[in-house]
This record gives sequence, structure tokens and C-alpha cells, in this order.
Amino acid sequence: MTVTAGIGYALVALGPSLSLFVSVISRKPFLILTVLSSTLLWLVSLIILSGLWRPFLPLKANVWWPYALLVLTSVCFQEGLRFLFWKVYKRLEDVLDSFADRISRPRLFLTDKLQIALAGGLGHGVAHAVFFCLSLLTPAFGPATFYVERCSKVPFFLISAIIALAFVTIHTFSMVIAFEGYAKGNKVDQVMVPVIHLAAGMLTLVNFASEGCVIGIPLLYLVASLTLVHCGKMVWQRLLESRNQSSASR
Amino acid sequence: MAMGLIRLLFIAFTLVLLSILPLHLSLADEITSIESVPDLQKLMYVAVDGFPCVRLLNLSGEIGCSNPGINKVVAPIIKLKDVKDLVQPHTILVTADEMEDFFTRVSTDLSFASKIGGVLVESGSNFQQKLKGFSPDKRFPQAQFSPYENVEYKWNSAASSIMWRNYNFPVYLLSESGISAVHEILSKKKMKHGTYTSDVAEFNMVMETTKAGTHNSEACLQEGTCLPLGGYSVWSSLPPISVSSSNNRKPVVLTVASMDTASFFRDKSFGADSPISGLVALLGAVDALSRVDGISNLKKQLVFLVLTGETWGYLGSRRFLHELDLHSDAVAGLSNTSIETVLEIGSVGKGLSGGINTFFAHKTRVSSVTNMTLDALKIAQDSLASKNIKILSADTANPGIPPSSLMAFMRKNPQTSAVVLEDFDTNFVNKFYHSHLDDLSNINSSSVVAAASVVARTLYILASDNKDTSNSALGSIHVNASFVEELLTCLLACEPGLSCNLVKDYISPTNTCPGNYAGVILGEPSSKPYLGYVGDVSRFLWNFLADKTSVQKGNTTSVCSKGVCSKTDEVCIKAESNKEGTCVVSTTRYVPAYSTRLKYNDGAWTILPQNSSDSMGMVDPVWTESNWDTLRVHVYTVQHSAYDNAVLVAGITVTTLAYIGILAAKSIITKALKQD
Repeated sequence: MTVTAGIGYALVALGPSLSLFVSVISRKPFLILTVLSSTLLWLVSLIILSGLWRPFLPLKANVWWPYALLVLTSVCFQEGLRFLFWKVYKRLEDVLDSFADRISRPRLFLTDKLQIALAGGLGHGVAHAVFFCLSLLTPAFGPATFYVERCSKVPFFLISAIIALAFVTIHTFSMVIAFEGYAKGNKVDQVMVPVIHLAAGMLTLVNFASEGCVIGIPLLYLVASLTLVHCGKMVWQRLLESRNQSSASR
Repeated sequence: MAMGLIRLLFIAFTLVLLSILPLHLSLADEITSIESVPDLQKLMYVAVDGFPCVRLLNLSGEIGCSNPGINKVVAPIIKLKDVKDLVQPHTILVTADEMEDFFTRVSTDLSFASKIGGVLVESGSNFQQKLKGFSPDKRFPQAQFSPYENVEYKWNSAASSIMWRNYNFPVYLLSESGISAVHEILSKKKMKHGTYTSDVAEFNMVMETTKAGTHNSEACLQEGTCLPLGGYSVWSSLPPISVSSSNNRKPVVLTVASMDTASFFRDKSFGADSPISGLVALLGAVDALSRVDGISNLKKQLVFLVLTGETWGYLGSRRFLHELDLHSDAVAGLSNTSIETVLEIGSVGKGLSGGINTFFAHKTRVSSVTNMTLDALKIAQDSLASKNIKILSADTANPGIPPSSLMAFMRKNPQTSAVVLEDFDTNFVNKFYHSHLDDLSNINSSSVVAAASVVARTLYILASDNKDTSNSALGSIHVNASFVEELLTCLLACEPGLSCNLVKDYISPTNTCPGNYAGVILGEPSSKPYLGYVGDVSRFLWNFLADKTSVQKGNTTSVCSKGVCSKTDEVCIKAESNKEGTCVVSTTRYVPAYSTRLKYNDGAWTILPQNSSDSMGMVDPVWTESNWDTLRVHVYTVQHSAYDNAVLVAGITVTTLAYIGILAAKSIITKALKQD
């Protein structure tokens, strides 16, 4: 497929994350650190999961329920780790706030906290895209292309890039929702994130069916846009609240 | 809040359910699981199994096939029947029955030839039945060595001469697995994504002579980009000749066969009828004669000679005769004058017709010796009356002997009295002479057994100089038919091939599939060569003949671990398969087979100037084979560049849109915060 197409696929999967990194994350060193640590956490979770599942691999290719079980256990584990990540962040937030008080500087703004959550989510998303899409992309830079039997209209690399883009979106914005949910004790938000993650994971199983990707990928993008919209709504609400609070406190 | 939660859960659950429902319907078929990136690459770039056509050179130029330059050839695949007006070079998929017409057209129509990037030949069993005959060789193979004037005589009626032409593109014969791989990739395209992809074949068959720009034997031997064709012939005497007693040499009855053949594709040349049937008949006769008592008391000495390189200018016979002139170590025990009779066993695999095995005896000239040989053949035939064997003299209207090693013997010495036994009279009955289709299914094992029986008894009669047919010894000479049949499957089939028990008893073969193409001669030619440079069949023949023609001295057999035996007239056999070989008394020697125009000096080959005393050397093309790095073909699917560009544009668009979106969101948020 040549270098042209290879770069194209890489941009489809990670272009938006690159844009986000350049415009938001790269401005503040602390965010870069957050992205990196979140990426590391996600990779560690994958390593542990693969260690747990090693005795049962390779899974039989023509039955779908072992894969469903795999997705379920992985999502549960990663959601648990997300909660742990939030706990560590909370501790860190307290440390940073008390430090700010000591040197008479302002505490973390709402936007700062949202940006940290965004960076955390981006770390997860980028790790997902690199692991599930970029690592397979090296053959795409050669002259040949590849079509899978079960999704034969579109090259394999394009499908994996599109799916990776959806997951980047989902991971990035669901971290914001999760952090706000845990901070405010909002049950809807807290439950929504694991449910979305699980639904997205299960939707990829639709690709097992012959030409299933025609249904599976649009549905996946539906979930991704739901996440984006809900996050947008939530952030807008919080901003309005904080603005009212700050004007009320004057 | 609780309502929102419940609503959310409901939506999620529905989504998951919707997604899982269609799954139970469509998971029945197999998925090839990709477990790593190398697995993915192997699925993308499908390696195609097959047999290449390689570049051969002679003094005046080149023949055969090669990549036109130093790069891989990548060209889209198209079937020959779909070819209309080609704009760019394509890979043509040709079936075996279309091969002859196709290559003839390539040589005559230059504009057609320029549109050929590469050729894939499909020779499945369904095409073989359609073909009546196919021979890429000439009408009179090796006519320049003929001892008679009529070089226009058509010995080979199915001839097309296509293997002797020069092609500027790679040609590859697909194996069974290769054919299915190519068909699979072509059918996928038809079914699904035909419009913006094309299936290409990638030929990695670059020849060193093309890279170095050496286009004839002299130049390439000088540059070291090629090697001369040749190998190692084997001769053995029954019973062993004691070299020390140079007096009392018995006259020699020499039986000759060849072990090499050729075809358009170097690695797929079985040569079942021509000449391996003759070789197997010779081995069957040796096996039968080795069980006869009193062989050493016969009046004449039996010597068996198996030559290689005969297809490429009678290299084996010319070198053998030259070594006889030089009285070299390779032929110690023999001399020009001691050879009284020569009997060659040519193609004897297609003699069976209507239940009777008929063979024709072609004689070099009329003489008392040839009459004696013909009489012996008749007597042998009569003694085997129950086996339905007929020996007939060849038609006197023939211009002379058919293409055979005897042509070289005759050219060297026009007084040679010799007879060649063939399964044909006026022209070849083998319609697949020197083609990849001359395989086990082209011959009949009973014909080979019949020939072996006749030859064994003829040799006994000639050696004993006794015309008494009631001789009980003659009646006791029986060829072991199951041995002949097993040997045929060892030398002419891939299953069991050279891994059969018969061969593995003597040597450890390097290949399982026998390829009876002579190949190149490696290293320095000598009568005691480094065995790693000697081919499997030559080593097998040496060990087999040494075993069968050996005599046991006393009751003890000594072992030899390094291939060396203590006594001078002993040789070490079976040293490869067992860790330690056995020492036996036998006169079995290797004779190098290479052109008399070549000389090996300090690791390089040089071409000697023409010498009028060597008339065959004057017409010898001096064949060499180009060296190469690798010979591989891959087949894969390629996207059109428009599609690639579209993907890049999509990627850039997505990135830019995201950037714009983020900037917009940032400004909205900042505005919202600044409103206080």
C-alpha cells in the first residue's frame, strides 16, 4: 500500500489525538506527564490481563463467547484501574492544592482539573490506538494490501484505523466523565463510563459476523458520539455552575 | 437521577443485545488466525511454490529465462486467454497446453514479447491429459554431434525448440500448491473488491550474469558469475579388475546408460523414458548379474558406465573418452584398446504395446562385433520367450543411430562397433522428450523390467562368448521386478523419492525430490572428488554399483570410518547412511564430466582454444549456468495509487477537522469563563 497509505492510516487513527496533544496538552508539562503515566497504566493493565488469560489462549476462532468473556473481564479490570487512577489523582490534587496554599498561589481551577482528566483519557486512547492499530501497521507501508474475508469491502488496515479512532474518542472523553462522576458522587456518570466501555468492547464482536463490520462500526461510532455529547453537556453544565458560584461568591 | 441511570442502563443493554444477536448465525466457517505481524505479512505476501526456468549461457550467447535487470519484476496477473491489448507489462498465466504456441509467438512477435513482465505456467493433471505431445527440445537433439550427414532428420516429432531460445523475462512453473495459491487470490478479487485493486506477481529471479553484464560463457567464467554444466559419471566393473596385474587384461564389454536429462524448468525434469528408464534397466541387469556364479571365469570383462552431462554436449562421454586417451587415474584398469563391444541402453520405458515389449537395436555400423551383439540379443530374447519380448533391428532407412552417447563415441572413433537399444525405431515414441511431463506416468515398469532381463542375458552371452542357449546359467539370470519398480519410484517420483529405503541404504540424500538435470560441476574435477560436491544420484550409483560388483575376500568385513580402506583395491561403501561404512573389493570410480574445452586452474575455469584434434570440442557450445542469489515468486494484492492518496487525504482531513473542533471548543470555554 505504500508509504502514502501507511501515513494516511496512522493519521486516521491518531491524527485527532495529535491535534489534541499539540493544541492542549503540550502547553502544560504536567499534562504531558499525565498522558504518559496514563499510557503506562493502560499498558500495564494489558500485560496483567494477558498474563491472566495466557493459559486459555489461543481461543478457538469459530466460537464467540470466549471473546465476549475476554472483553468483559478486561473491561472490568480496566475500570477498576480507572478508579484507582482517580484515587491517586485525588491524592495528588490534595498535595498540589496544599502546596499552592503554602506558596500563596491559586489552587487548581476547574479547567485545570478537566484538562488533567482529558490528558488521562488521551493517554488511555493513544495506548489503545498504538497497541491495536499502529503495531499492525508496518506491513501497510509495503506495496501490498490486505482484505479480511469477513469485511471484504475495505482494507484491513483502514478498518483497524477507524475502530482505533472511535476508541480514542471513547477513552478520552469517558475519563473526563468518570473523574467528574467520582468527584461529584454522581451515580449516573459513574456507571455510564464502564457501561459505555463494555458496550464498545462488545460491539467489536459484531465484526465476527460475515460483513458484520457494516453494522458494528457505525454502532461503535454512535457510542463514541454519545460519549462526546454527554461529556460536552456535562462540562458545559459544570462551567455554568462554577461561573454562577464565582459570581455568587463575590 | 435514578431515572437517568435506569434509562442509560436500558439503552446500553439493548445495544449489547443487538450486537450479539446476529453472531450465532455466522461463525461456522474457519478464520485463519493472525497471531503476530510476521503472520500477517505471510498472509499478505503469499509465497508461491514452483520451479523456475534459469539462465544458461554458451559461447555465443544465452538461452533460458531471467529477470531483465537487477530489480524484482512486479506485474499484474492476467490469463493468456484474457489478453487483448496490453499497455503495460503483465504476468501471463499460461496453461501447459498453451505453452508451445505461447513461446513460439513470443519469439516471433516482438511487440507481444515487450508486453510480458513474467510468465506463470500452470501444469495441473487436467491439462496433461489434453496434451498429445510436448517437447521443448529440437527436432534432432544435439545434431552438431551427429556422425552422419543428415542433420535435418526429425527424430523428435513433438519438437518445438522453445527451451533453446533466449527470453528476457522470468518464467515459473507452478506446483500444485502454487496453482491453488494463485487461483485463490484471483478468485478473491473477482468476488469482492475488484475495482480499485489488482493482483500482482512479484518475481525475484535475478541472475548474476544479467547483473554483471556477462552474456556468454567466456565472459561469465572469467567474472565468476557462472559455473560450467557437468557432474560425475560412475563406472564399475564386474568382477573387480585388479589394477596391479596389467597383463592378462580381458577384453571389455562396455554397457552405457545416462543419468541426466533436461527440461524447460531445471528442477522439474524427471526424464522417465529418456534416459532414466535405460539407467534403471542397467541397474536391474547389474543386480541380476551380481547373483550369477562364475562371473569371474567368463572370457570377457563386464564394465558398466553411467554418464552424466550427456544432454549438454555429451560432456560425460567426451570426458570419459578423453580420460581413456590420457590413461588417467579415473579410468585405471581400462584402456581404449581393451574395449571390444559397447552396448548402450537408451529409452526403454515405452516398449510395451499390445502385451508385447518391443525394442529396437540401432547399430553404429555393420561389423562382426555388432553382428555378434545382435545375435546375443536374439538369443537372450529367445531364452526369455515367456516374457513376450521382441528385439528388432532398426530400420535401415534411418540415417544412422539416434541421438545417444554413441554419437560421441562414433565421432571420436568412426570405427566404433556399438549397438544402442531403444524403444523406438524411426523416431521417438516418447512424445514428452526432455519436458517436465516425462514422468513416471509416461513409462511402463514392465517394459523396463523386460529390457533389463534382455540386457542381463545378452551381457552374459557376450561375456561368456558362448552361444549355447541351454546353458543353465543363462536360465538362472532373473531380474528382480520389484527392485526395478522400487527404483523407478525412487528416481522418478517425489514420494518416496530419494528418501526411499533402497537409496537411503547407501547414501543420505540432500533432496527428496529427484531432479535429474545435470547441474553444475562444483569445485575441482577429480576422480576422488569431495563428496559434498557430488550429486545424490551419482553417489547412490557409485555405492550401489560398488556393492553389487564387489567380491568378498575371506569371511571378515572391515569397517571404514573416514572413507578410507586399508587395502588398495578396496573401497568404502555405505559410509554416509551408517556412521561407519564397509570395505569391499570393487573397481568403482567417479569420472568427472565436463567439457573438453574447459580447464580448471586455481579455483577458476578457463576456456581452451579450439583444437582441431578435438572435433567435438570444435562444435561444443560450452554450456554454463548463471549463478543466482534467490529464486522466489510472491503473489499479492496492490491498491491503485488513487486509493492510497484518498486515504492520506482522509487522514489529513480528520486531523485538521479535529484541530479546528478543539480550537472552537477552547474558545467557547474561555468565553464562557470570561463572562464574569
